[in-house]
Amino acid sequence: MSDILRTVDLSKRFRQNVALDRMNMDVPEGSIYGLVGPNGAGKTTTIKLLMNLYEPTAGRAEVFGHDSRRLSPRDFAQIGYVSENQEMPEWMTVEYFMTYLKPFYPSWDDARAAELLRQFDLPPGRKLRHLSHGMRRKAALASSLAYRPRLIVLDEPFTGLDALVRDELIEGVLGNAEGATILISSHDLAEIESFASHIGYLDRGRLQFSEEMASLTERFREIELTIAAPSPLPAPWPAAWVNAEQSAAVVRFVDTQFQQDRTMAEIRRLFGEVREIAVNPMPLRAIFVTLAKAGRKAA
Amino acid sequence: MRQALHIFKKDARHLWIEIAVTLLVVAAFTFTSARRAFWMADPVVNRNVAGMLLTFLLPLAWWILIARLVHAETLPGDRQFWTTRPYAWKSLLAAKALFVAAFVNLPLLAAHIAILLAYGFNPLAEIPGLLWSQVLITAVLVLPIAALSALTTGFVQLLITGSVLCLALVAWNIGMPSAGLDAGWRALEWIRSYYEIAVLALAALAILVWQYARRRTAAARWLAVAAVVLMALDVLIPWTAAFALQSRLSKQPIDPASLRIDFDSAKQWAARALIEKGDRVWIEIPITIAGIPAGMSPRYDGAIMAIEASDGSTWPADQQPWSHVTTRDQVLWLQATVDGGFYRKVKDQPVKLRGAMYLTLYGNLRVTEVPFSAPPMAVPGRGLCTATPGAGRKSYYLICSSVFLDPEGPATYSPFPADLALDPVNSHRTYIAAFYYPFAAFTAATVGTTEPLAHLRRDFEIGGLRLGDFEVRQRVP
Repeated sequence: MSDILRTVDLSKRFRQNVALDRMNMDVPEGSIYGLVGPNGAGKTTTIKLLMNLYEPTAGRAEVFGHDSRRLSPRDFAQIGYVSENQEMPEWMTVEYFMTYLKPFYPSWDDARAAELLRQFDLPPGRKLRHLSHGMRRKAALASSLAYRPRLIVLDEPFTGLDALVRDELIEGVLGNAEGATILISSHDLAEIESFASHIGYLDRGRLQFSEEMASLTERFREIELTIAAPSPLPAPWPAAWVNAEQSAAVVRFVDTQFQQDRTMAEIRRLFGEVREIAVNPMPLRAIFVTLAKAGRKAA
Repeated sequence: MRQALHIFKKDARHLWIEIAVTLLVVAAFTFTSARRAFWMADPVVNRNVAGMLLTFLLPLAWWILIARLVHAETLPGDRQFWTTRPYAWKSLLAAKALFVAAFVNLPLLAAHIAILLAYGFNPLAEIPGLLWSQVLITAVLVLPIAALSALTTGFVQLLITGSVLCLALVAWNIGMPSAGLDAGWRALEWIRSYYEIAVLALAALAILVWQYARRRTAAARWLAVAAVVLMALDVLIPWTAAFALQSRLSKQPIDPASLRIDFDSAKQWAARALIEKGDRVWIEIPITIAGIPAGMSPRYDGAIMAIEASDGSTWPADQQPWSHVTTRDQVLWLQATVDGGFYRKVKDQPVKLRGAMYLTLYGNLRVTEVPFSAPPMAVPGRGLCTATPGAGRKSYYLICSSVFLDPEGPATYSPFPADLALDPVNSHRTYIAAFYYPFAAFTAATVGTTEPLAHLRRDFEIGGLRLGDFEVRQRVP
């Protein structure tokens, strides 16, 4: 798969604050890439750099192989972008909004547009300013899917929405994005986990990792050991084991590079006799929290 | 172009209320201005309050319309929906330009034509003025507000920025006369005005193109600041350089060497060196200028001069040429204020006045008779004029209306066919008192007009003067 989005040492500084620090990210074509991280990690900055809403301080971003600073209307005709805080032409009705946008997109599909309005239950005659928060987001999404974009970029699209609307939006995106590449940023991992094929984790402007979802969930394990007798944690402690906690004879940690044989051998080498070993797979949210905590400790 | 039209239609639909209000104001402006044409024969009544109000309302309506238009696709910021849509910046800019042309320029052009017709002017004969007026109004009233709107995120920010700029402008205008740098340019003032207009329009255009093409607001805001500074620097344009430019625009070439400037010995009695308070001496020297071509009359715009004594002492005149020459009681004077110390040192030795006179020669006299109570008739250089007797024929009025220019005569040397004004017609009333001629039966007013044909700089050197010979202790009123 070729990369539809790519960043090379991409950096952005706002005065003295480094929002993004030498980020290298590749988003393969056809993937659903979840860009996750705590608030202020640099997710929105990354997306705005990719969409040429910001200019990089250093490095570069590429979309469809073009420098993001040179994105042309032809490129934007293949991009559907929805953001949490996007300002809409509020005086337009839903119907006029769609009608207005249609001539901008050679691939606009009237049938799909109508279907999206129906699917999202959007009242055609109502002005955007009179729509609820969630409905407005739906209108933005409908207007971004009606032309079958090759790339869908969603910046925190579910923030502030109730569960029902969130599900509708996810369903809408997934049901109308056949073949498209999706880049979605979120700090709410539950919905990302259910459909992302790739994950990038940003923390304080640095991309901590970027990999396929399957390999990520495969390498993170929560491990709980019951050792023979309470003793201090052995040193040196493996760097890949984070968030270690000890309570009497019970030791808990997260192995970020879990491999069954290697991890077991390392446990035996460090702890000797272990009465019980529990290895638990971790949901994305737990992985995220673990990394965030580990990052803060390291800082 | 299709995208530009599409955006244009969207804006027209969105801003229909603002458009309607603007067109209404234009219509009211046209009506009040055109109505004045019918009062030409009624010089006493001033019913122009509505017209004055509308000259404020019209730009205000335009500014609101233009600001709303630009803010429909706000340029600064990163949250606007349109920035990630396939807008071609040239189409967007073209759509906005088309909108301004359709709802600002075109209605105003129509209004101007209607007003000209009401006055009896032939609009076809006034096409250069009509078009140049549009250029000036676009440069001064349209582009700057569009550029400011392109640098702001909304109406409130625009209002604050505009208010700050207005306050700065007021402060500058209050401060400048005290510096004495901007007085006395008179007929040359158009050069500084056009410099300001050019900086304003070019900077606004650059900001608009830059913002629509790149949307890098910080850099564009710096450009705006630079433009304001550059405009303020107009006070540094030397008057002499402006006159040199004006000379190049002379309609008729005249060799300055054909003019001779000498001390007016016949009016030697008028020369004076007046001792003033503060150890200053006011010098006035009567001079004559010979060699002015027949049929031409001079207007003295300024002079630069230095007083040189035989011992090498020199008093240079300051940099305000317009203050060193004046005509009074049919005498032409060179004048300067010198330091008391310098005066005492040189007063009893021969001094030389060395400098240059800047003058404009008027010619091409055309005389027209305007019969009283006749329909308006064309007077060259003045437009359409009517002559009207007042009550009991104790007074007479000559009322002239001209298109885009001052009917009083060329108060400016500007070569352009229009000045910056909303109303295309300027009217001027001349009052002629018949009180002193109770038995005269006037039938017509005779109007003579001339035009500036040549702007000359003539260097001079007047020697053999002893300032002490002209010394007086009390200033002659």
